[in-house]
Formats: sequence, structure tokens, C-alpha cells
Amino acid sequence: MTSEPLDALRLPIVPVEPRREFAAVLLRRIEGSGEPVTGGTASVRYFVDDLDAAVAFYCDNLEFETALRPSPAFAMLYRGDLRLLLSVPGGPSGSHSLPDGTVPEPGGWNRISLQVHDLVDTVEALRRKGVRFRNDIATGVGVRLVLLQDPSGNPVELFEPTAGYHERAR
Amino acid sequence: MSTVSVRYIVDDVDAAIAFYCGRLGFQELMHPDPAFAMLTRGDLRLVLGSPIGPDHRGGGSRPMPDGRKQEPGGWNRIMLEVPDLGAAVEALRGQGASFRNDIVTGVGVKQILLEDPSGNPVELFEPIRPEARLENR
Repeated sequence: MTSEPLDALRLPIVPVEPRREFAAVLLRRIEGSGEPVTGGTASVRYFVDDLDAAVAFYCDNLEFETALRPSPAFAMLYRGDLRLLLSVPGGPSGSHSLPDGTVPEPGGWNRISLQVHDLVDTVEALRRKGVRFRNDIATGVGVRLVLLQDPSGNPVELFEPTAGYHERAR
Repeated sequence: MSTVSVRYIVDDVDAAIAFYCGRLGFQELMHPDPAFAMLTRGDLRLVLGSPIGPDHRGGGSRPMPDGRKQEPGGWNRIMLEVPDLGAAVEALRGQGASFRNDIVTGVGVKQILLEDPSGNPVELFEPIRPEARLENR
């Protein structure tokens, strides 16, 4: 076996265990997605029954990106400035259970509200993908909106601003 | 300008405005209707709506077509970062705020679950690892 003369000049490749806090950023760079997934100062936690189904739902249907997925009971997603934490209640460590044993659950009515350009088109596309909605498009003051459900039954509001929205909302 | 929007259903919009603005550093953007207000804190816009009838001009907190009414509560929540959780909790307790639990230390954060006057949860957290910190502050 002959060795190339240049081999002597090549630097050895040493596998390095990345520090945990940089691992997610490195992974995204390796995957070629360029800029690290980061957001602003808004953070929301949702409880989900099935983490795989939730991550797939938010990333495939609503343009979220996965930033961290360190355990079977937790994931951190981003969409713009929104950081969405997905937690599976009542995991082995009893994470998020209350001192009296109450276990959190998905559902309720409080929700993130995502702006879309064309609500009718978006709803049609999501319905074709099998996404469930709690209602039909409702028209309010300066906004049209609809409530969809993630696989665990958590509500997500989609809205499209209408005339007068910007003067009122900003 | 806030870029992220969250809607909370509350029983009493005025009481909610006093709570979020008076205790948690939100600012009121608008309160054009007794059943509706919009607050802001950093990148978060918090839209407060109280349950309304099907014919109300507001669209966000009407009942569903099957008659189900929207209501406060549940477990999903906004998360607000504070620099010193112990001090924040003590100050809030001093103001009569109610909590669902005591401070819990997790993997990346210390956290606690506060309740607004309608019983909606608000998670307060103090990062104990760098990646748990909210970025671009």
C-alpha cells in the first residue's frame, strides 16, 4: 500500500464529543440548514401525549423547526421568535406533576396564535392533510381566524389580518 | 414590536390586565372592548378574551359551532424568564398571587407555576443552563 506524499501534511481527524449546549447548533450546521434555530423572548409550553406525533405535526404542518430533542419526554421547537416546548406529562420522573399528584394534560383553550397569509388556502391545505379543526373560519374585528387541533387535542389558532388590523394591533 | 401571539381566555379582562401589567411587566396595547385586550411583553403579544356569545363582533372567544364554550384553565402556558426566581416568587406571594406548586428544579431551569385571576397557568423560570435562556434578549 503506497501512501500519498501529501498524507504527511494532512491533519488527523479526531472525533470530539461536543459540549451539550453546542450540540444542537452543530447538528443543524452538519445537516446544512445554516443558521442556528433561535428565537426571541417568547416561550410557550404545550403538553402532548405523543412526542413523535407532536414534533411531526408542528414541523410538517406549521413550519416549526426542532432545536432540541434530548429525551423521549421533551422537545424544543422554534417558529420565528416563538419557542414552543413540548412536554409529555407524567413521565418516569413525574415531570411537571404537582405536589398533590395532579398530572398535567393536553387541551384547554389557551393557545398560540400563528399568522398566515391566506387563511382559506391554509385551512384547505391542512384539511387535505387530515388536520382536525374545532370550528370553521370566524371573522372578528380586523382578523379572520380558525382553531385547529394538534394530535393531542391542543388548540392552535391561525389568523389572517383583515382591513384595519395593523392600525389596531400595532 | 411583538411578533409572537398567544391567546388566553379569562373570566374578567380588567382583572387580567391588572394582573399581567401590574405584576408581570406586560404593557397594555389596547382594550377596545370589555371582552378583549391586547398586552405585550418583549416579543410576546398576549391577547386576552373573555367568553362571548356567538353574535359578538369579536371572533376569538366565541363558542364553537357545536356549542362548546371557551374557558380559562388547562396546563398549556406562556413561560416568562426571570433573573431571580426566589425573589420573584416571594414578591408575588406578598401581593397575594396564587401558585399551583412550589419551585421545582429541572434539568435546565428552576420553575414554578403561577395562576392568573382566572386560573390560567403562567410558568416563571430561571435558567440554570445556558441553553435554557431565551435568546436575543
